[in-house]
Amino acid sequence: MSKPFFTVYCLIIYAFLLAPIAVVVIASFNAGAFLTFPPQGLSFRWYLVFFNNEVFMRAIRTSLWIAALTTVISGIIGTMAAMFYVTHAGKLKETVRVAMLAPLLLPEVLTAISLLFFVYSVGLGTQNLVGMIVGHVLITLPFVFINVSASMESYDPAWSLAAQSLGAGRFTRFRRIMLPLIKPGVIGGCLFAFIISFDVFTISFMLKGVGMSTLPIQLFDYLRTNFTPEAAAVSTCSIVLTMAVVVISEKVLGLRIHRF
Amino acid sequence: MTEVSIEKLTKDYGQGPAVNSISVKIAEGEFISLLGPSGCGKTTTLKMIAGFEDATQGAIRFDGRDVVHVPVEKRDIGMVFQNYALFPHMTVEKNLAFGLEMRKTPKDEIRTRIAKVLDMVQLTGYSERYPRQLSGGQQQRVALARALVIEPKILLLDEPLANLDAKLREEMRVFIRDLQRRVGITTVYVTHDQAEAMTMSDRVVVMFGGRIAQIGTPSDIYERPANLEVAEFVGQVNIIRGKVGNRVVSTAFGDVPVSGEFADGAELMLALRPEAVELLPISSGATGAPAKVLSSYYSGSLVDYRLELAGGAVVNVQTFPRTRFADGEQVLVHAPADRFWPLGTVA
Repeated sequence: MSKPFFTVYCLIIYAFLLAPIAVVVIASFNAGAFLTFPPQGLSFRWYLVFFNNEVFMRAIRTSLWIAALTTVISGIIGTMAAMFYVTHAGKLKETVRVAMLAPLLLPEVLTAISLLFFVYSVGLGTQNLVGMIVGHVLITLPFVFINVSASMESYDPAWSLAAQSLGAGRFTRFRRIMLPLIKPGVIGGCLFAFIISFDVFTISFMLKGVGMSTLPIQLFDYLRTNFTPEAAAVSTCSIVLTMAVVVISEKVLGLRIHRF
Repeated sequence: MTEVSIEKLTKDYGQGPAVNSISVKIAEGEFISLLGPSGCGKTTTLKMIAGFEDATQGAIRFDGRDVVHVPVEKRDIGMVFQNYALFPHMTVEKNLAFGLEMRKTPKDEIRTRIAKVLDMVQLTGYSERYPRQLSGGQQQRVALARALVIEPKILLLDEPLANLDAKLREEMRVFIRDLQRRVGITTVYVTHDQAEAMTMSDRVVVMFGGRIAQIGTPSDIYERPANLEVAEFVGQVNIIRGKVGNRVVSTAFGDVPVSGEFADGAELMLALRPEAVELLPISSGATGAPAKVLSSYYSGSLVDYRLELAGGAVVNVQTFPRTRFADGEQVLVHAPADRFWPLGTVA
């Protein structure tokens, strides 16, 4: 492929991927009363409406709270699973991998329904966030697992042995040697977990309690009866929020991969 | 300085012992090599001394204290791994500081000790480098420094030169040996390279199939091997056969007196190192067995010959290239009687 042609080809693909997002962002600044494109005049009108809409704000808080808890729990369990998978699973390796990836292979709606049965049969119900968090952890776990186990594969077990010979106990070995070296995988996995949890619809819809709502559910609910640019403003905010999470974790925690 | 005593140490993974009841006493400051082919149990033995493997049976004593149940991190060992295992996310200085931090050494003492050890391994000025910015030999020296800076009871080295090229390997042999002498630390060195074991060690432990075949100084091992296996593993050797009669073995080289109790009429194997044999031109008229040159290999400082003796036996001879013999030439071979070493009777 010649170079100019390749450049154009890449641009077309990017345009294809990014155009819908651009449309939503532009539509959110619409001054008119209906969700149309191109917008009829520009204004922040619908952002104000959104920020003053207590229902949406509550949904966003719920979503963030669930995503944060999911990320922490999924991050810990997924990392531990990946460590076991790479270093100790032995003959069970393939079985462990398939089991860990199973939530990705099942249709989300099936997982959601079986979880719903589960939370009621163990008496948990949907009155609190526990069932919801379990569901979110379940579907985000494979992403943490894949990312962490990928970075574990380039981890030389001799590093842990060397640290041990120098007098480091189990916890110090993990904190000072292994964790810094598998950090890119852990952070990458956690980002996936956060974004997916923030975005997931089916599981949240099945496992939400009465009167509770996450942002995607609230948005869906809203769009059934309304067609104002407020929906675009909500979407834009959610895009900005997710991107902020990615950028901030990159800056603060560092995604730089150590080259060996 | 620490004296290490290994007593009837056994490791069994469930398919027969990998290390079978071995006992060695390592003196304070001694450099001991565990030498043997892969699978002989030398690495397993080292791992048991380090504590990475549990012993199935037996004792490992540091200055009389059994450490079998002491975990690795409390055992106070310095270990150098085959691939160095330097922490890639830490600079040389942080790598060296790690062990001292684990020992809660004060900051300024850490600094002075690192400076001292870097000087010792000739890497002053490299403290801010990352391992990936160092050559193989430099990484090797950092690994040594990291093991030594904590002033451990013993130093354990697991084939540390295996990943270096030939020239560097020879330099590092001398370097490690000198360093070990200066520090005076008790050292256990695992290798399958007999030249490494010979040049570096005070004593060599030759292992086969989980058992010790021989313990001795490098010259013991080379000149007085305990059996055929040891003789063949350590350097090149010619096995000369002959019948015993009246405390003398008659061989193609002539009669060789043997000490030791061998029954008359028994067929004996004698070890004869290639460099112990002299080659003389037929014209010299000296005493010796006639032989024909089959082939020769010139390697600069030495020439290796393959010769066929009158009886059809083939011997390898290594000489200095002062006099060269052509392929097919008739020569006289001679070996002093005291260079033959009995390996036992033919089974």
